[in-house]
Amino acid sequence: MASAPLRPADRASLLQVPRQWPAYLVALVAIALLPYVLSTPYWRGILVVCAMNVMLALSLNLILGYTGQLNLGQSGFFAIGAYVTTVLVKSYSWNFWAAALIAVICAGLVGLLLAAFAVRLRGHYLGIASLGFAVIAYQILLNWESVTEGVRGIYGIMPPSPIRIPGLPEITFSNPVALFWLVGGIAFVVYVVVANLLRSPVGETLRAIREDEVSAASLGINPARWKAFAFGIGSAIAGLAGCFYPGFVGTLVPDAFGIVESFTMMAMVIVGGMGTMIGPVIGAIVLTCLPELLRDFGELRLMVYGLALTLVVLFMPGGMVQAGQMLRARFSRASSGASR
Amino acid sequence: MSLLVAKNLRKSFGGVKAVQDISLEVEPDSIFALIGPNGAGKSTTLNLLSGTYQPNSGSLSFNGQIITGLPAHQRVRMGIARTFQKIRLFKQLSLLDNVLAGFHIHHQIPFWQYLVPGSAFWHDWKRCREEGLELLEFVGLADLASQRAGSLAYGQQRLLEIARALATRPRLFMLDEPAAGLNGSEVQFLLQRLKDIRARGITVVVVEHNMDLVMNVADHVFVMDHGEYLFRGSPREVQDDPKVIAAYLGGELS
Repeated sequence: MASAPLRPADRASLLQVPRQWPAYLVALVAIALLPYVLSTPYWRGILVVCAMNVMLALSLNLILGYTGQLNLGQSGFFAIGAYVTTVLVKSYSWNFWAAALIAVICAGLVGLLLAAFAVRLRGHYLGIASLGFAVIAYQILLNWESVTEGVRGIYGIMPPSPIRIPGLPEITFSNPVALFWLVGGIAFVVYVVVANLLRSPVGETLRAIREDEVSAASLGINPARWKAFAFGIGSAIAGLAGCFYPGFVGTLVPDAFGIVESFTMMAMVIVGGMGTMIGPVIGAIVLTCLPELLRDFGELRLMVYGLALTLVVLFMPGGMVQAGQMLRARFSRASSGASR
Repeated sequence: MSLLVAKNLRKSFGGVKAVQDISLEVEPDSIFALIGPNGAGKSTTLNLLSGTYQPNSGSLSFNGQIITGLPAHQRVRMGIARTFQKIRLFKQLSLLDNVLAGFHIHHQIPFWQYLVPGSAFWHDWKRCREEGLELLEFVGLADLASQRAGSLAYGQQRLLEIARALATRPRLFMLDEPAAGLNGSEVQFLLQRLKDIRARGITVVVVEHNMDLVMNVADHVFVMDHGEYLFRGSPREVQDDPKVIAAYLGGELS
């Protein structure tokens, strides 16, 4: 068992501080320009949906991909964000931003409640319990008519209220470009904060719990506490995404928050690449745009979509991120072979 | 003063009495070996000491403080680390990431820098990585730092678990059959490392089947059989004791 020393070059690369900001700059420029590249009202609307779905996929990835907790209740937190904001604005005449803040806090607190189950239940059992939460949330939206209007839905919901900063022109969100910049900008901030968090020791802790809880506890990690942390933050982010949904669509009905939405979010995370930062972003964008691009198939659209999903999971279990890594490895091998 | 004191520990699973009335004392800066035939209750005892299991009755104190009932993760903060009989690595993570997770209780980063990294964050980041690589060097795995832990050979996995547990900077380090499945040269390497760990001022408790290892490194040996105390003494005394020989050879002599 001779101990082979670490090569100085390898040591240097392991101690190299990662540089993120060039990629962040590209992302910001993309968010700024996209509404002008895809300039029809239809595609501008889809951009807003993409930004919301990116937040939802990021939120689920934190819980499922990094902490390893099977959570099928994410649609419930999305619903809490949407309904709490809307009811406070419509029925109690709150300012949108104050309502959104309360909605995010509510979603986070309910997430902590669900975490209490995650402390006792593992794997499939937690999946069933969280699915139960999503079903209950949906039933409440349907039946608590005095507050949610039930199946009739809430109509005429306005976009987020304008931001007034003294000395600057008023910022309004009534046009789709401004709304995309707002939601896309917030999705960007969420990405950066979550990426920073997961690159920090918190990321190491959550992944340790995903891999082996007993082992994590033997290193001083309190699994219950950190699962609660992941559920709390993940649910709050899903709630944040929900805040912008009603103002964008203009109406709010329970069917937008059925349990199938939870599965769509899971598909985004898995197709993109579970447990990676960029994977769920790609997954969310692809799975939001794909059904739109398949409109030519008419009735066959959803079948083609389902087939595409199945093929991805079958042939790229690590998602599109893994497929990309494999392609890059093959490409670099081919090019190094050619240079010889 | 003894570092770890256990008094009258009992643990049963259903009707099976795995550990019955075990009392032991571990002296600081020593290597304490817990031995016995299969099913003697050694691993259960170690699980009781580490907090992985809680005893049905009995008491535990560490460094003068009562730790009975304290969960495993809190005992780690007091300076108790362990490895597992059945290897429990974070298989999908790299070797370095496995060790980095071991620094969980030692980070010094202001709360807000977890969201927006600043100088304290990067200082901690670099310090942990350097220290993690040193620990990998200590167990001879530094050149594999960025490999996946699951891809390691069996003996290397055992060594990685040792490096990961050492990252918690323990005062008491408990190893559950560290030599199981190792070949001769690997056992020699492990033996040397256990001595090095003791030389660093870390007290070692080792549950072991490999008599060669026990006789070579242990300062005190504690023998269990059928969940009960059988004998304690120096390695030489244990080797010569008829009760111990009987327990290992099948009980004809007693």
